Amino acid sequence: MNKPLPVAPEVLLPAPVRAPRAWRVPPLNALIGAFLLGLLLIMAALGLVWTPHDPLALNLLARLQAPTAAHWLGTDEYGRDVLSRLMIGAHTSLWVSVLTVSMAIVAGTFLGLLAGFLRGWVDRGLMMINDALLAFPGILLALGLMAIIGPSLYGIVFALSLAYTPSVVRVVRGTVLSLREKEFVEASRVIGNSELYTMLRHIAPNCVAPVCVLATSMFGWAILAESALSFLGLGVPPPAATWGNMLAASRPYIATASWLGLFPGVCIAMALLAFNLCGDALRDRLDPRMSK
Amino acid sequence: MNKTFILAGALSAALVGTAHAESVLKVALNADIRSTDPGVNRDTNSDAVIMHITEGLVAFREDATVGPLLAKDVQVSDDGLRYTFHLRDGVKFQNGKPLTSAEVLWTWKRFLDPKTQWRCAPEFDGHGGAKIVDMSAPDPLTVVFTLDKPNGLFLTSTALPECGGSGILHPDSVAADGSWKAPIGTGPFRLGDWKPGQYVELLRNADYSARDEKAPDGYTGNKSTTLDRVRLLVIPDPAAAKAALLSKNVDLLIDVTPLDATELAANPNVRVTSSGTMSVNALLFQTRDPLLKDVRLRQAIAHALDSAQIVEALTGGRSKANNSMVASGSHYHTAVEDQGFAFDPAKTAQLLREAGYKGEPIKLIVNKRYAAIFDMGVFVQAMAKASGINLELETLEWGTQLERYQSGNYQMMAFPYSERLDPALSFDSMTGDKDKEARKVWDNPDARHWLREAQREGDITKRQALFDQLHQQMIKDVPMIPMYNGNAIAASRDYVKGLRTWPVSKPRLWTVSVPNSGSN
Amino acid sequence: MFRFISQRLAMSIPTLLLISLMVFAIIRLVPGDPALLMLGDMADAHSLEVARASLGLDQPLPMQFLIWFKAVLSGDLGHSITTNEAVLPLILDRFQVSAGIVLVSVLLAALIAVPAGLLAAWKQDSALDFGVVSTATLLLSIPSFWLGLLLLYAFGIKLGWLPVVGYVSFGQAPWQALSFIVLPIVTLTLVELGAITRMARASAIEVLRLEYITHARAKGLSERAVLWRHALRNSFAPTLTLIGLILGNLLSGIAVLETVFTLPGIGRLMVDAIYARDYPVLQGCLLLVTFVYVLVNLLVDLLYPLFDPRVKL
Repeated sequence: MNKPLPVAPEVLLPAPVRAPRAWRVPPLNALIGAFLLGLLLIMAALGLVWTPHDPLALNLLARLQAPTAAHWLGTDEYGRDVLSRLMIGAHTSLWVSVLTVSMAIVAGTFLGLLAGFLRGWVDRGLMMINDALLAFPGILLALGLMAIIGPSLYGIVFALSLAYTPSVVRVVRGTVLSLREKEFVEASRVIGNSELYTMLRHIAPNCVAPVCVLATSMFGWAILAESALSFLGLGVPPPAATWGNMLAASRPYIATASWLGLFPGVCIAMALLAFNLCGDALRDRLDPRMSK
Repeated sequence: MNKTFILAGALSAALVGTAHAESVLKVALNADIRSTDPGVNRDTNSDAVIMHITEGLVAFREDATVGPLLAKDVQVSDDGLRYTFHLRDGVKFQNGKPLTSAEVLWTWKRFLDPKTQWRCAPEFDGHGGAKIVDMSAPDPLTVVFTLDKPNGLFLTSTALPECGGSGILHPDSVAADGSWKAPIGTGPFRLGDWKPGQYVELLRNADYSARDEKAPDGYTGNKSTTLDRVRLLVIPDPAAAKAALLSKNVDLLIDVTPLDATELAANPNVRVTSSGTMSVNALLFQTRDPLLKDVRLRQAIAHALDSAQIVEALTGGRSKANNSMVASGSHYHTAVEDQGFAFDPAKTAQLLREAGYKGEPIKLIVNKRYAAIFDMGVFVQAMAKASGINLELETLEWGTQLERYQSGNYQMMAFPYSERLDPALSFDSMTGDKDKEARKVWDNPDARHWLREAQREGDITKRQALFDQLHQQMIKDVPMIPMYNGNAIAASRDYVKGLRTWPVSKPRLWTVSVPNSGSN
Repeated sequence: MFRFISQRLAMSIPTLLLISLMVFAIIRLVPGDPALLMLGDMADAHSLEVARASLGLDQPLPMQFLIWFKAVLSGDLGHSITTNEAVLPLILDRFQVSAGIVLVSVLLAALIAVPAGLLAAWKQDSALDFGVVSTATLLLSIPSFWLGLLLLYAFGIKLGWLPVVGYVSFGQAPWQALSFIVLPIVTLTLVELGAITRMARASAIEVLRLEYITHARAKGLSERAVLWRHALRNSFAPTLTLIGLILGNLLSGIAVLETVFTLPGIGRLMVDAIYARDYPVLQGCLLLVTFVYVLVNLLVDLLYPLFDPRVKL
């Protein structure tokens, strides 16, 4: 039997507050994840100030060229430099996902806390809307909203946040519900704290961990969703470059200029991998049950 | 591309082949037809198919003028109000019954009945050109239509494919309670099997009463066919259709994109034919926009564009630049209409100075559904930028763009006008009173007046003069910049003979012949 | 059990209603209506009026909803505005295509992923575990449509082994049908493998630490018996939930894959219906997709107690 017997005072402390660990070499997944993420951030940041060529400059004489010395990753169907567009695409894609995740987290946490705290018909009503939003196909929601608002970067952010908020609400509400009846919450009430104070001081901080883990997944989903929407024709509108619409634009040329579809896909995969690895590392750190 | 099968291939393979050799043509349709009732619940593909089954009193010739088809001749009274059609003798319907004026009247009464929901009813009931106030049949081979005012477009309107060519039907096409059954017309093909979502089949009309001419002439002339069967397969995806052609699962693609056409033309087994159509791809201005209401700014933009170069890049040389609403393929397009907007950056600079343009952004709406429109926007933006004009592309979804077009809520947009088979119809699509119809692009009282005249007038010379006037005024007013007319590009296997594309763009499959085969 | 099922189905009705209202509202808020799209640039005021009247669009919105809803209750989902086909057979037909591919892929993925995850958990921190986790994470990070494009390029264009476009239903020509769905199924399976493997591994690790496992080992059961009899069954529950989630999401998210492989599935139908403003088709699709989503959740909840005895129905 490995587990130590529970000691009474320990139980009164909110769970995730642990003694700080001695610094060790971070696990492999964190390293690779951080490295990839860093690479992407550099690409995005660099793209803001310098690109090898003007990403918007058409050059009809140099269309669909394979990678050469002048254009390291070739040119697209309008003669624009692929590498330059990938770089500004990095910025756009990352920005969309950061905004989306932030909005979803803020809204979802607030609503989740509300539902878990107030219970009763507020909870039931919120959860019904939440479940409906969850059941509603995300792609359609985004498409419909995009068509109403008009294609724009902020429109996409709004649409995607709306699609992801229900997941956050679920996680937060679930955490709140499972913690409400725990002993340390009881203790807080016994001491005389108001429900609200208990909520904010004891319960809310415990939601941080699961929400953080969810957030790393959502970064990936957001990039994926934006690409998918671009593929279907309603992503961030051209001539802005996003990895998604570069991938979508490469489709007619799959036989003749296959590299056009290769590079944006690699970038998307890299970003997803980075977020997944970082998410794993974060979860390992925050959830002691899983690690060694 | 060796082993590409498609839905169609499987179906034809699964069907039992005919016992004797017959000549079967397989064509790809990009969408299923909506109905077999001419001009009712229609779309482009439905029109294309029904025009093989039914025939109207008059029809479009190869050169896009209108000539008699079921009629032997047409006489117009001097006041332009009475049209007398003398029917050809001995024409039989596909059920063997003879064509008489009774069936013509029956068909037209049915067309004009609001319950039928004939697409072109508004054209003839007072909403459009002229109202038909009377139809009579003095004898079994004569029909007389009386209009309430002269209308030079009357015959053209009856011949339009979107009206089903006003195909004359036998009353047996309709059930006892008036509901639609199947078209019984006089055309070279009769309707065979229609499996919704999969294919439509046309069978040769063995008793077709052909006209006396030696050869077909557009939708009229001698339309006898050697084909026994035509199977039109529904293949919505262009890539799938292309693959089907390459694998011989279909013999003919009637509408191919320029990009695919170039690729297919390189294939030794495929023949690509194309001809200009009367659709117009244009750049629209909103002349009521605070910035664009200054005609000098619009002129500046027009002169900043090298239309020839843009069109060359957009169509791979298949179309010529045409800054006129009169299509290049129309016989009304003369040297006058060739005068367009010259590429003149110096003039642009001067006009911009005069107009006081300070580089304000102008939104140019495009969409991704029509690649040509999107590309046009991209090229126009780039060229305008070179002259210091700041155009911003706004990519909208097609439905949204249509709504903005309809309400006039835009600054500039790249817009595809579907084909209009007469210049009066073309001008009518964009000329009008903006207060009454927000979608009209050109609001000029003189222009409206000339247009009404052209609609009324039947004489070709007088109409030409009016169209010339309209065009020249349009160049002065610059309410829009027509860029070029579209192309109908067809791709067929090398054993398909006799295929010709034409300015009216719809396929005429009776001219086609393929070698006989057992079951394809 | 039947009471549970009927209760759940009854509780799903408000969700269905809410979703119907949502899609009804959203699609009508989108600029442009089906009449305008049908007539295109030929839309003058009069023909628009006539077209709208024939489609019932001139009625006030609540009226339109009620008319549609009443028809639905009697089993009539209306007719497509673009193709005039009856909606119910149309969406069922397309749904069959998507469902077939999704079900086969998820099943295949589960068959491979669950044992793999279990093995990796059993041999945690070994080279095998590392290999499994890395592969799973990598697979998880590849966008499905990009993978699809790559496979299409490799096997369809470069090698020419498989057709690039088209679809034949299984009933009509089994071998040909297979050749069309191989690539989409492989793509989807690969993509789902990642998530399912990781979840299976994670929950297996958790279970393997629990007391009763140690107890079983102490009893003298072989490792294999421990794994198969206790670990697999008890750790499967969260994986089951994940599979349910995946199934639910795939039904709508498959639109992109259907575009890449030109499959006539329900995802493409929904997307096309939005673009064409085909209200009846869109509303019908949403009803079907939501209903299936509810069914899948119900099924997961019914099966859950089989794997996690702590949870009762």
